[in-house]
Amino acid sequence: MKIHNKPKLTLFHCLNSFKETASMFDGCEVKTVKMACSSMTKDVHLLRAFESGADAVLVLVCREKACRYAEGSIRAEKRVNYVKTILDDIGMDGKRLNIFNTSSKDSGSINDIIKKTLLELEIIGPNPALNHFN
Amino acid sequence: MKTLSRLHEKLSNGEFAVTGECGPPRGSSKEVIQKKIKLLNGFVDAVNVTDNQTAIVRMSSIAASAHLVAQGLEPVMQMVVRDRNRIAIQSDILGAYSLGIKNILCLSGDHQKFGSQPDAMNVFDIDSINLVRTVKDMRDKGKDMSGFDLDVAPRMFIGAAANPFADPFEYRVIRLAKKIDAGADFIQTQCIYNMDRFREWIRQAADEGLADKVYILGGVTPLKSAGMARYMNNKVAGMDIPEEIIKRMDGIDKKNQADEGIKICLETIQELKEMDGVHGVHIMAIEWEEAVGLIVEQAGLK
Amino acid sequence: MITASQKPINEIAELVEPYKKVLILGCGTCVKTCFAGGEDEVAVLASVLRLKFKKMARSIEIEELTIERQCENEFIQEASSGVDRNDAILSLACGAGVQAMAKRFAKKVVLPGVNTSFIGIQESPGIFTEECSGCGNCGLATFGGICPVTRCSKKLLNGPCGGSQKGLCEIDPDTPCAWHLIIERLTTLGQLDNLKTYIPPKNWNTSLSGGPRKLIREDHII
Repeated sequence: MKIHNKPKLTLFHCLNSFKETASMFDGCEVKTVKMACSSMTKDVHLLRAFESGADAVLVLVCREKACRYAEGSIRAEKRVNYVKTILDDIGMDGKRLNIFNTSSKDSGSINDIIKKTLLELEIIGPNPALNHFN
Repeated sequence: MKTLSRLHEKLSNGEFAVTGECGPPRGSSKEVIQKKIKLLNGFVDAVNVTDNQTAIVRMSSIAASAHLVAQGLEPVMQMVVRDRNRIAIQSDILGAYSLGIKNILCLSGDHQKFGSQPDAMNVFDIDSINLVRTVKDMRDKGKDMSGFDLDVAPRMFIGAAANPFADPFEYRVIRLAKKIDAGADFIQTQCIYNMDRFREWIRQAADEGLADKVYILGGVTPLKSAGMARYMNNKVAGMDIPEEIIKRMDGIDKKNQADEGIKICLETIQELKEMDGVHGVHIMAIEWEEAVGLIVEQAGLK
Repeated sequence: MITASQKPINEIAELVEPYKKVLILGCGTCVKTCFAGGEDEVAVLASVLRLKFKKMARSIEIEELTIERQCENEFIQEASSGVDRNDAILSLACGAGVQAMAKRFAKKVVLPGVNTSFIGIQESPGIFTEECSGCGNCGLATFGGICPVTRCSKKLLNGPCGGSQKGLCEIDPDTPCAWHLIIERLTTLGQLDNLKTYIPPKNWNTSLSGGPRKLIREDHII
C-alpha cells in the first residue's frame, strides 16, 4: 500500500539520545516528545500517539551502559515490547513502534532510523485506526 | 438401532417401564444387597443403585451394581459428580461397563453438608450435564474427554434426573432441554406428590418438543407415615408435598398410614400411566423394598 | 493482596462490543498493585479499545475512572454518576469488586476486565506468588509459616511426597516444593519436631467446599 499523505511520526526521546538537525525530517511530519529520562516512556503515551494519528512511533534512548539513570533504557525497551504485543493483538502491527539506542551526537544513524521507518511504512501502510476517519 | 440395555429395550418397545431403587449398605455386606435383590427381582425392569446418597458413605454404587448384575437384575448405576474428578469418573464408567453395567444415571449429588462427613472436600469438577455429555461422547465417539480412542467404548443407556418441583419453575424445562441436548436418553424425576405441577411440567416439556426426544419416568415414593410426609416436605431439598396429602395421611390411624401411603402411590402411578409423555415409573421405596412388589402388582405393572 | 491479570484485549473488546458508552472502572487497591486494574491500566486499556474500535470503524465512547476500592460501598458511591452516564461498566476489579458493582447497580451491565487469580504477594518486582487459599482454618503455626494447603501441589498435610527433588515440585521446575521450604524453615526455627506430628484429615467445611461463606461480626451490625 502506498502512503499518499506525508507519513506522521511521533518521536519520543530522552535528553541525551537525540538532537534535531536540518533535513532530518524530510518527507514526513514529525512530532517530538522530549523526556528527562527514557524510563518515563509509558505505554499509555505510546498508544495515545497512535490515537493522535501517528503512523509510526519511535523511541530513542541512550545505549544501555550510557543511561544516566542506569535502568532507564531497559525499562523503556520492556514497555515498548509490551505495547508492540498489544498492537499486534488488535491488528495494528507492532512494527509501527520501535525503540533504538542512539546518541544525540550521532545524527547520521538517527537519519538512517527515520529513513528505515519510512520504508517500513510503505510496506505496512498508514495507521489503520485512522483510515476510516482521515 | 440395537438397544443398549433391557430397560432401553422395554422403553423403545413403547411399554410402560418400572424401575426400583436399592441403597447399598453402610458396610461391606453382600448379604444386605442380596436381600434387597430378592425383594425387587421380577417386579421391576431395572434398579437404581444409589451413589453415597445424602453424602453418607456406603458401599460403592459400582460394586453394588455388579452384585445386581451377578444376580440377573439390571442396575441403573447412579453416579454423582460430588466425589470424583473427571479422571475418576471416566475410569469408573469404563470399569462399570466392563462389569456388565449398562445403565447410568448422571447426578450432581447431595452436598456433603447434609451427610455424615461435612468436613469432606467436595469435587464438582464437572457438573451433571457435562457428565451426561462425557458418557455420551465415550459411547458414541468412543473417546475419552481428552479425545483418546477407547479400545472398547462403554455403550451405556444414559439417564439424568429432573426435579419439576424445584424453583424457579419456569427454568426447569430449559434445564431438561439442556440435559437432553447433552445426551440423556431417559429422565427419572423427583418424587411426584404435586400432580398439578407435574402435569404442567410435562405440558411445558411437550410444548418444547422434548416429549419425543427422551423417555420420562415419573418418580414415586410411598409414604410410610404422616411424620415422614411432613419430614420430607420440610427437610428434603426440592420436595413438594401438598398440604392435602399430609392432611390425608394425618387423618388415618397411625397403624394404617403405611397402607394409605401405598394407596396414594398407586393413584399417582395410575395417573402417570395415562399421561402423555410419561414412559414409566421410578419407584423409590426408601428402605422399604418390600413395598415395591406390592405396588407393582396392585398397579397392574407386572 | 488479591492478584489478577487483565483479560486478553480481544476478549474484552468482544465483551464491550454491544455497548455504545462504556465506563472502564479501575480499582486502586489490590489490582493496582499487581498492574491489572489501577488507573494506569485503565488509561492503557481505554486507549487500546479506542484504537481497536476505530480500526473496526466502530464508534465507542469510553469514560475512564478509578476508585479506591470496588469492594466497598463507600467508595463505589464515587462512581455512581459515571455509571449513570454509561451503558455498561467494564470493571477492572477482582471478582468481588465486579460483583459488588453489580449488586450496587442492579440495572447496569457490569463486565469483568480481569481474571482474578489468587491471594498472594509480590515476591519480587513483577513476580507474584500464591500464598493463601483462604481455607478458613489456618495451620501456619505448625508448618513454620509456609502453607502446604496452598503451596504444595497435592495439598499434603503430612508431606513431602515422593516427587520432590532438589527442593523442587514434580509439577514444574519453577515451583519450589512447599515441604522442602517447610523443613528448611522449621530447621532454622529449631522446630523440626513439628514434622513428626501426625496431621489428621483437614476439616474443609470452613473452606469454599462447605458452601459460600459469610463472615458475621455481630458487634458491628446495627
